[in-house]
Amino acid sequence: MTVTAFKLHPLRLLVAAITLLCLAMASTADAQSSVRPPEGAVDSPGITAPLGEASDADIWRQLKYGGTEPPPVVGDNPILEVPGRPQNVFEALMEEIRPSETVNVTSSSGQPRVMQVLGEEWRLLRREIILPYAGWILVTVLGVIALFGIVRGRIKIRGGRSGKYIPRFSMAHRIAHWFLASSFILMAISGLVILLGRTVLVPIIGKEANAVLTSAMLQGHNLFGPVFILSLLIVIFKFMKGNFFQWADAKWIIKGGGLLGGHASSHHYNFGEKTWYWIVVIVGLIMSATGMLLLFPWVTEVLAWHQLSTVLHAGGAILMISIAMGHAYIGSIGMEGSLDSMLRGEVDENWAKEHHDLWYEEVTGKKASHDEDESAPGAATAEGSA
Amino acid sequence: MTFLEFTEGPMFYFAAALFVVAGLWRLVGIVRLGKKPDLAPARGSAATGFLKGNLRHFFPRGLFAQRTWMHLLGGYGFHLGLFVLFFFAAPHIAFIEKFTGLSWPALPRWGFIIAAEIAFAGLIVLWVRRFSDPVMRLISDWDDHVGTWLTFIVMLTGCLALQEAHDSLRAIHMLSVNIWLIYFPFSRLMHAFTFFLSRGATGANYGRKGMNP
Repeated sequence: MTVTAFKLHPLRLLVAAITLLCLAMASTADAQSSVRPPEGAVDSPGITAPLGEASDADIWRQLKYGGTEPPPVVGDNPILEVPGRPQNVFEALMEEIRPSETVNVTSSSGQPRVMQVLGEEWRLLRREIILPYAGWILVTVLGVIALFGIVRGRIKIRGGRSGKYIPRFSMAHRIAHWFLASSFILMAISGLVILLGRTVLVPIIGKEANAVLTSAMLQGHNLFGPVFILSLLIVIFKFMKGNFFQWADAKWIIKGGGLLGGHASSHHYNFGEKTWYWIVVIVGLIMSATGMLLLFPWVTEVLAWHQLSTVLHAGGAILMISIAMGHAYIGSIGMEGSLDSMLRGEVDENWAKEHHDLWYEEVTGKKASHDEDESAPGAATAEGSA
Repeated sequence: MTFLEFTEGPMFYFAAALFVVAGLWRLVGIVRLGKKPDLAPARGSAATGFLKGNLRHFFPRGLFAQRTWMHLLGGYGFHLGLFVLFFFAAPHIAFIEKFTGLSWPALPRWGFIIAAEIAFAGLIVLWVRRFSDPVMRLISDWDDHVGTWLTFIVMLTGCLALQEAHDSLRAIHMLSVNIWLIYFPFSRLMHAFTFFLSRGATGANYGRKGMNP
């Protein structure tokens, strides 16, 4: 046999192609005939065949977003444009479910929908954004504080302690502060276990132990919530005086709190402290309101409010915990003399001159000198005073 | 025997017995101390003074009321809240009934929660005052802090077990209760039973001299 015997003739090729095509068509027809709708399945009026003619994505989109809202676009589908037939899958299905009733499916949006898509969106937001980012934000903040502590070290009182003390916070102020701090710590720990327990703790302690711990923390969180609100309200009223922004705060900002050189003067509270106070007020009240809504969910039947509450509650918590960690650091080991104000209620004169000179001048009637500050830019009140 | 059975069984029996015996021992000891004979003629009734001394100390003097309002609120909030928690919480009544057969109406759950919140708020305020007030800080020692923290832990573990869904949480609560019962008679927590004796002794002294305690 020679090679030429196998030489492909155009006619042979055509016959082969036709044969293959016939075989393929036959097998396709056989395959289609073997696909049967499930027993008892009914054709929906908007869909001419149970399978194949409208894409799954279109159907699910219709189910999720309803018949009147974007993004479902099925108008190009000629099957759905038959006169007298429902115009989309959603209407078709609803007609099938309730042939003689007005479509009235309760949903978080108030729009008729078969599927509650908002729940899925909320779940994804929580799982894909809040949970991973919340953990990393806290770890990052801790890292930044640790780095700051290592690089900057403990901020000493310039000139050392004078041994003379000036009253700064009354007993009621101190009790209010620590009352809030205590309840905040309890809320923060229990809240973080609830929020991040499944992600962080399950791999370490296992599902069983995490279930027990989460149950306990949930009870504790719900119980301490009103205590936190009470302490928050006391702090808001007790610390409001002196926490409104003043002209000196603008100068404080311009000087970068002392980082950009020279002494950044401040009254009883500096700009950083005032900002922290108003964050506590605003975010604390939002946390309280959203927390109460989650504690008493029957206040509203609109699911979107509950979902929004969980998102705001978690976001607010991460923000407050992050700043509170910085506040706790600079108010204790980070700065010499700061803790005295909240433990003893009084501060060293040199500390007062350095960090709250305008307040010092106000309460003592003496002039605070900043000669040393001018020669050492960035060392004065850059970090505020807790 | 499970850990819960142990904490509610042998350990609880031991702790409760020690609490009663040691507590009585201290009370009897205080009463047996007696007092020095007072040879001066009585100008008033010591018994009335005893009673007055007890009652008058429930209210602050006008001069101090303004300065100590937070302490006053915290003190009353904590003690009354704890009393309500202890005697009117449904799980506590059920527990007492198991041992004594005695029972009485329990508070609804919301009442229990409110009492617990008031008690917690009060205890936190009292403890904060203990380390914030220079005088309180000076006269406080480790016994005060241990007593406060033990009480806090007992209340906390009880509230964490509120769902009554996990035996382990109940066991932890019972364990802390037992430790608290054992510590109680040997600490200043005994003031729960001795306060009326000290107030009464001072009142009786003043009363006998014809003075208001």
